[in-house]
Amino acid sequence: MDAINGLAMGFSVLFTPENLYFCFLGSLVGTLVGVLPGIGPLAALALLLPVTFQLAPVAGLGMLCAIFYGAMYGGSTTSILVNIPGEAASVVTALDGHAMARQGRAGSALGIAAIGSFIAGTISLVALTFFSPLLASVAISFGPPENFGLMVLGLVSTLYMIGGSKVKGVLMIALGFLAATVGMDIVNGQDRFTLNNVNLAGGIEILSVVIGLYGLSEILTNCETIVKNQLLAEKIRGLWPSFKDWKASWKPMMRGSFLGFFLGLVPGGGPVTASFVSYTLEKRLAKNPERFGNGAIEGVAGPEAANNAAVSGGMIPLFTLGIPGNAVTALLLGALVIQGVQPGPTFITQRPDLFWGVVASMYVGNVFLLLLNLPLIGLWVQCLRVPYRVLFPLILLLAIVGTYSANKNVFDLWVMLGFGVVGYILRKLQYEFSPFLIAFVLAPMLEQSLRQSMVMSPHGMFIFAERPIAACLIGISLILAVLVFRQRKLNQPGGDI
Amino acid sequence: MKLIHSFIGAIAAVATATAVAQVSPNVAKLKPKDFPTQSIEYTVVYPAGGGMDLTARQLGKFAEQVSGDKILVNNRTGGAGMVGHTYLATQAKPDGYTVGILANLVWGDAMLRGKDKWSLSNLETIAYINSDALAWVAATKGPFAGKSAKEIVQTAKDKPGTVRVAIVPGSMWEYLIDQIEAATGAKFLRVPFQGGKPGVVALLGGNVDIAQGFYGEFESYLQADQVKPIAVASASRLGNMKDVATFNEIFGTKDIVWNIIRLAVVPKGTPADRKAYLAATINAAVRTPALAAEFAKLGAYTDPLLTNPATAAAELDKMAQAERAFYVKTGRLK
Repeated sequence: MDAINGLAMGFSVLFTPENLYFCFLGSLVGTLVGVLPGIGPLAALALLLPVTFQLAPVAGLGMLCAIFYGAMYGGSTTSILVNIPGEAASVVTALDGHAMARQGRAGSALGIAAIGSFIAGTISLVALTFFSPLLASVAISFGPPENFGLMVLGLVSTLYMIGGSKVKGVLMIALGFLAATVGMDIVNGQDRFTLNNVNLAGGIEILSVVIGLYGLSEILTNCETIVKNQLLAEKIRGLWPSFKDWKASWKPMMRGSFLGFFLGLVPGGGPVTASFVSYTLEKRLAKNPERFGNGAIEGVAGPEAANNAAVSGGMIPLFTLGIPGNAVTALLLGALVIQGVQPGPTFITQRPDLFWGVVASMYVGNVFLLLLNLPLIGLWVQCLRVPYRVLFPLILLLAIVGTYSANKNVFDLWVMLGFGVVGYILRKLQYEFSPFLIAFVLAPMLEQSLRQSMVMSPHGMFIFAERPIAACLIGISLILAVLVFRQRKLNQPGGDI
Repeated sequence: MKLIHSFIGAIAAVATATAVAQVSPNVAKLKPKDFPTQSIEYTVVYPAGGGMDLTARQLGKFAEQVSGDKILVNNRTGGAGMVGHTYLATQAKPDGYTVGILANLVWGDAMLRGKDKWSLSNLETIAYINSDALAWVAATKGPFAGKSAKEIVQTAKDKPGTVRVAIVPGSMWEYLIDQIEAATGAKFLRVPFQGGKPGVVALLGGNVDIAQGFYGEFESYLQADQVKPIAVASASRLGNMKDVATFNEIFGTKDIVWNIIRLAVVPKGTPADRKAYLAATINAAVRTPALAAEFAKLGAYTDPLLTNPATAAAELDKMAQAERAFYVKTGRLK
């Protein structure tokens, strides 16, 4: 019952006006940066990091954490309303969320996204509260071969979730891989495809890709059909999820929570992978998968739960091992170090006040976010009434500011514009972007873990069979691949391949 | 966006009200009349939250106190530091408002990757901040538990290519192994990682046998008795690892020294009075006992050879030349 005592202590540490105020502020800022395309949690955290020097540790860290998970709440909003993801983890939400908005069910989609985020956030916090030390050993057991297995699973999932032509999907995956090879080779440090340009030495910036491909090309496409699209605003049906929506959503939410939590925990996972894999899982389990991509509420509930749960999952290796899984948790690690805490195996025993205080703040922050987001739904849906000629230039401006502010490099803006144009052309040719994006995100880790495994292995490829977790992950991937093949065969008579 | 900014402004106002500035008289004496009229930007070429970033932010906090100036930290990341280094050397204005808070990794970038676009002569070092030395770390469990560096190297000599060591390709993590192999005839299996910390994590998971990292990267595991430093690539033993021998002691060599030396630089052509003022500010901040304590917490140490500003430049030049000599000797540089 150490955990319960600890949590009680955490709440007693947390309940000061200052701590609660900063927790609330973090939730609010997180929601805003999530909603605004281009301005992600990373930029907001980097901006606010110096401020936390002056705050009490629980207030400062609680605020930074709240921005991170708050952004997962807010990120779905623009995905659903205007088909422009606020950040990469909300890309999948756009597939069905925006389709729902087009059918006048924007309120339901936003409601399910917010409630799903809350439920997943809370479930994963409970898991974090009781099983942190135990789960830490899972995270550490993921070496290069296991990471490779996970990446393969992520990729095969993508194949499975492709709605239209598989050939086009595979092409996009290949292009995603190609784009990801630009930059310094991770094994021998040589430049690859950088055209002797120093700006490409670090690879193509993912933010520029997301904003260009999704944001800019969406705006370009809408410019053509601007009159027609205005009808979206006219038929908004209800602001709240119906009973039917609930019934369809609760199971995906639960599955998304557990899946997301696990994928947040392991090094190669994180919110982006979690949302993609959850979508695949829901599509696989659905009775009529053809609804996916046309406004299936499960396609919103699962991924939104998963990306939130992944955030809490990622806190476990951070707090108990001092391992940051992605750029945002790396920044949180920095904030801890500045507060004089070296997160690691001794963190919980040395500074229980801080650890439990932050955990308690996450419980409270999740409640704040739900209370903040539900009333905002009405307001966001009203945004659809803003004429596109006003809305889109605004979004474009935010996208440009957001892209630039990430690295303060004008080159990133050119990349964003380039991907915007490419995206526009691909849309015309009916290519989906999500396979490209997931391949682009997974490729560096896939390549690194494969090459590390091959260096480590005395028996070549057999290392993946010798290690049980890696073998399982690759086995599941193979089964999924077979299913994709069968699906293709079933579709063949008159099907679209 | 405006909303966010006003929020951030409000929080920042609350926060700064609590910090009281005590301007150092030595710094005030050197303050030019027309400088600074806006905030000074510390450029860090690595991501926010990393060791270099934390150093710059802590330094900035104390430099604000001793000077009363406003200091911002700006991360210009990409290409393992190459993007930021190139920016400082070729694009940043030499007006004193841009200061690079860099590691000596900039030397390798300038020598091996700057090509004909820029070189070290485009940057001027104005102050020494602190140092960190690369150490070998082994796990306290598993086949190499309790083994000394010499014994592990012997295993790598007897059974070549079986001892797995974590490296970061094209950087001092790899060069250190090059030197040890050359000095002892051992042969290691080099597993590539994207930094010191991921290698330490792989050591904990039993995926490598030796990790190489800085004190701050493995300190928490050392406290939990999961890992143990077994050799350090510094010129002499370090205060925070007194029982850990240097590689030079162990192998009877002289040149196995791989340090991170953190420096403040400005673009060439920055006016002399502004340079002197910025240097005085940073030197005063570094001498603040509270900042020294913060740096010690991060695992850094102060190299006595570099603390005297009058002789530091010559010492740094000697170290850079030693690095160049290594590149020439190993055929990396012609």
